[in-house]
Amino acid sequence: MTMAAGILYALVGAALFGLGLHALIVKTHLFRKILALNVMGSGTFLMLVGAGSGGIRVLPDAVPQAMVITGIVVAVSATALALTLMLRIAEETGHAELPGERSG
Amino acid sequence: METMTLLGWAFDGLLGTGLVWLAWRALSSPSLFTAVVLFVAFGLVLALAWVRLDAPDVALAEAAIGAGLTGALLLGALARLHGSSAHKSPGADAVRSRTRVVAWPLAAAATLVVICGLAATLIVITPTAVGLGAEVARNLRASGVSNPVTAVLLNFRGYDTLLETAVVLLALIGARSIGTAIDVASASAPGSPVLETFARFLAPLAILVGGYLLWVGAYAPGGAFQAGAVLAALGVVFALSSRKHGAMPAAEFPLRLVLVLGPAAFVVTAAITLVLRGHLLEYPPVHAGVLIMVLEAAATLSIGATLLALFSGPSFFRNNGR
Amino acid sequence: MAPWAEALILLPLVGAMSAFLWPRRAPVIGLVTMALLVVSVAGLSIQVARLGVYRHLVGGWGAPLGIDLYADGLSLLLLAATAVVGAAVSVYGTGYFRGHDAARFWPLWLFLLAALNALFLSRDIFNIYVTLELLGLAAVALTALGGGSDALVGAMRYLLASLLGSLLYLLGVAVLYHGFGAVDIDVLALRVGPSPAVWAALGLMGAGMCLKTALFPLHFWLPPAHASAPAPVSAALSALVVKASFYVLLRMWMEVFGTLAGSAAVVFGLFGGAAVLWGSLQALRQARLKLLVAYSTVAQIGYLFLAFPLGAASGITGWGAAAYLALSHALAKAAMFLAAGNLLRFGGHDRIADLDRVAQRLPLTTGAFALAGVSIMGLPPSGGFAGKWLLLQAALAQGRWEIAVVVIVGGLLAAAYVFRVLGHAFTQAPVPHEAKPVPLHMEWAALLLACGAVLLGFIAPLVLSVLGIGHPFSMGGAGS
Repeated sequence: MTMAAGILYALVGAALFGLGLHALIVKTHLFRKILALNVMGSGTFLMLVGAGSGGIRVLPDAVPQAMVITGIVVAVSATALALTLMLRIAEETGHAELPGERSG
Repeated sequence: METMTLLGWAFDGLLGTGLVWLAWRALSSPSLFTAVVLFVAFGLVLALAWVRLDAPDVALAEAAIGAGLTGALLLGALARLHGSSAHKSPGADAVRSRTRVVAWPLAAAATLVVICGLAATLIVITPTAVGLGAEVARNLRASGVSNPVTAVLLNFRGYDTLLETAVVLLALIGARSIGTAIDVASASAPGSPVLETFARFLAPLAILVGGYLLWVGAYAPGGAFQAGAVLAALGVVFALSSRKHGAMPAAEFPLRLVLVLGPAAFVVTAAITLVLRGHLLEYPPVHAGVLIMVLEAAATLSIGATLLALFSGPSFFRNNGR
Repeated sequence: MAPWAEALILLPLVGAMSAFLWPRRAPVIGLVTMALLVVSVAGLSIQVARLGVYRHLVGGWGAPLGIDLYADGLSLLLLAATAVVGAAVSVYGTGYFRGHDAARFWPLWLFLLAALNALFLSRDIFNIYVTLELLGLAAVALTALGGGSDALVGAMRYLLASLLGSLLYLLGVAVLYHGFGAVDIDVLALRVGPSPAVWAALGLMGAGMCLKTALFPLHFWLPPAHASAPAPVSAALSALVVKASFYVLLRMWMEVFGTLAGSAAVVFGLFGGAAVLWGSLQALRQARLKLLVAYSTVAQIGYLFLAFPLGAASGITGWGAAAYLALSHALAKAAMFLAAGNLLRFGGHDRIADLDRVAQRLPLTTGAFALAGVSIMGLPPSGGFAGKWLLLQAALAQGRWEIAVVVIVGGLLAAAYVFRVLGHAFTQAPVPHEAKPVPLHMEWAALLLACGAVLLGFIAPLVLSVLGIGHPFSMGGAGS
C-alpha cells in the first residue's frame, strides 16, 4: 500500500464526515440522525488511519489502528444508548423526532 | 512496499466511490429499512477498505461490530419503532424522508466548507506523517505478543482499553436504566424451526471461531473485541430463533458477574501491578503474554455478554426501567 | 508515595461495578466510595503541595508510547471541586433516589466520577477522548433518569451534541497525531509549530469542546437537559461536566495551541461576552426555576471564555480568573440546583411565581440559594467576586474596557434574576400549596456547598498559589 491509497481513503473519510454532518443537521428523524453519526464516525476512523500512510514508513502504523478499534467499540456502545433513548421517546411522545424539529 | 498499479488504483477508486455512494444512499433513503440494509453493506465495504489499508484487525472489528452488530441493533430498534403502538403511522416515516427545508442550504454550505478544510489539511499533512510505528516496533518484543495492534491495545495503551470496557458496561447499564432491551425476538413472531436448527449448527462453529480469534490475536489479526462480537452474534441468532424472548435471566447475579468480568479484570490487574511493579498495568515481561491472554479472555466474555444483553431480556431494573 | 491519583480513577470504577453487582447495597457502596475519593484528593493535594507536579507512567512505558497521568495545580483544583461537589451530590442523592431509582443512579454516578477524575488526570489526547465518551454517556444516562418526555428529549439532544463534539475532537487528535507524531501533550508541546495541522486541529478541537461546554451559540442543548434532569444530576452536570470540556480546551490551549492562535482568542472572547449577556437575559425570562438556573450556567460559562483574549498578556491574573470562576461556579451552581431540587420536592413544582413563602418554610434551602446567588452575582466576599475581580483587573490592565463592561453588566443581570427568585421566595403565592417535607441532609448539602462557594473568596491567595504549581499558565507550545 502506498501513500496514494491512504490519502484516497482519508479523503473518502472527509467526504463521509461531511455527508454525515449534513444529514445530522437536516434530517429530523432520530433514527437517521443516529445513522448519520455512525457514518461520521466511520469517516473519522478512515481519516485517522488513512492519513498516516505518508512518509518513508514500511510497516503499517499500529497506534491509529488500535485507536480505531477502540473507536468502533465506543461507537456501538453510544449507538445502543442512542437507540434506546429514541425508542423511549417514541413511546412517550409518539414521535421519533425532537419536538423543536417536528415540522408541520 | 508495492508500487501502486493501475489495477490497485482502480480497485481503491471503486471502493472509495462505493463507500461514498452507499453512505449517501443510506442517509437519503426514504425507507428506514433500506437505510439500514445499505448501512450494513457500507460497513462490509468499509471492512474491505480496511484490508486495503493494511489494517486487518480493524477490518475484522468493522465487519463484526461496525457492520454486523450495529446493523442488528439498528434493525431491532427499527422493528420496535414500527411495532410500538404509540407510533401513529407506521408507514409514514418509511415513505417520507423529512428534512428541514430552511436549514438545508446553510448545512450544505457548512458541510462543504468542512470537507474542503479537512481535505486540504489531509493533503498537507499526509506526505510527511510520521507515527509511533518505530516506537511500537522497538518495544514489541517486550510486550508479550507479536501482533502490534494487540500490543498497543492490551499493553502500551492498555489503559485506554480498560476505560473502553468500562464504556461498554456503562452503555449497557445506561440503556437498561432508560428502557427495555432492543428485543430482536418480538413476542408476535413465532420461533422458526429452521433458524433454531441453524443456530444449533452455528453454535460450535461460532464458539470455535471466537476462540480462535481470541487466541490468534496475539500474533496475527484478531483479538478480544472481534471474538466477543462473534460470540454476541451467536447469542443474537439464538435469541432470534427462540420462541420465547427474555431468554436471558437478566437480573441474576451470575449474568451481572460475567458483564463486569472484563472491566473488573482490567481494574484488578491494574491495582495489582500498581502494588507489585509500581505502575498501573505494568506487566512483568516474562508473564506479559499470559496476562494479556487472560485479560483478553475476560474482555471477550464480557463484551459478548454485554452486546448480547443489549438485545434480549427485560430491563435489569424492575418496572421496565421507568 | 501513596497512589492517590491512581486511586481516584480505580476507586470509582470498582464502586460502580460493585453497585451494579449488589444493587441493594448501592447507596452504601456509593457513599463509601465517595468518602474514599475525598480522602484520596486530600492525599494527592498534600503530595503535590510537597513534591510538586505528579506524573505517573501507565504501563511503565512513558510517553509517547504509553499514557501518562499528570497532576498539576490546575488538575488538582478541578479534582478537588469534583470531590467536594461529588460529596454533596452523593449525600443529596441518598435522599433523592430510593429503591430502584437508587439502583440505577449509583453505578452511573460512580462511572461519571471515574470519567471526570480520569479526564483531569490524563496527559494523553486520545485517552482524553475515551474519558470524554465515558463522561458523556454517563451524563446522558443520568439525565434520562428523570423519566418524563422532557428529560428523555433533553437527554437525546445532549447525546447528539455530545457525540458530535467528541467526533470533532477525535478528528483534531487525528490531525495532531499525523502532523506531529504523538498524542502525549508534553511531546506535542515540544514538537508543535505554526502549520496547517495546528490550525485545523485547533478549529476542530475548539469547535468540539465549545459544543460540549455549551458556549453560545452552541448552547442549545444545555437548558433543556440541565433543567429536566433530576436535581442532583443537574448539579453535577452544570458544576462539573461542562467544566471538563472547558478544561480540555484550556489545557490544549495552554500547552499546545496558545501562542499559535491569536485570532481564535478573539472569537472565544466575542462569544463569551455574547453568552454572558444572552444567558442572563434568557434567565430573567424564565418561569421555571430550574430553567433559570440552567440559563445562568450558559451565562457563567461565557465568563470563562472572556479569559482567552486576556490570556497571554495577563498570565496568571487572566487565567487564574477563569479557573477561579470555574471553581466557584461549580460550587455555587451545584448548590443552586440542589436548592431548586428541594424547592421542587417541597412544593411539587418549580414555578418561580408560585414559590409560596419558602423562605420561612425552608430557610436552609433559601439561604443556600441566596448564598449561591451571592457568588453567581459576584458580590464580595465570595469566590465569584474573586474571579470577577481578577478578570476585571486583567481587562483594565490591558485597556480592554469592553470586557470589563460585559463583566459588570453580567453581574447586574445576575443580581436581577437572583433577586427575582428570592423576592418570590418571601411572598405568598396566589394559591397556597401543600408542602412535602424535605430531609435535612438534602438541605444541608445545598447550604454547605453554597457556603463553600462564598468561602472560596477568602482563600484566594491559597488557590492562586496552588494554581501555579507546575506552571500550567506559562504558555508552552510553539516549540518552546
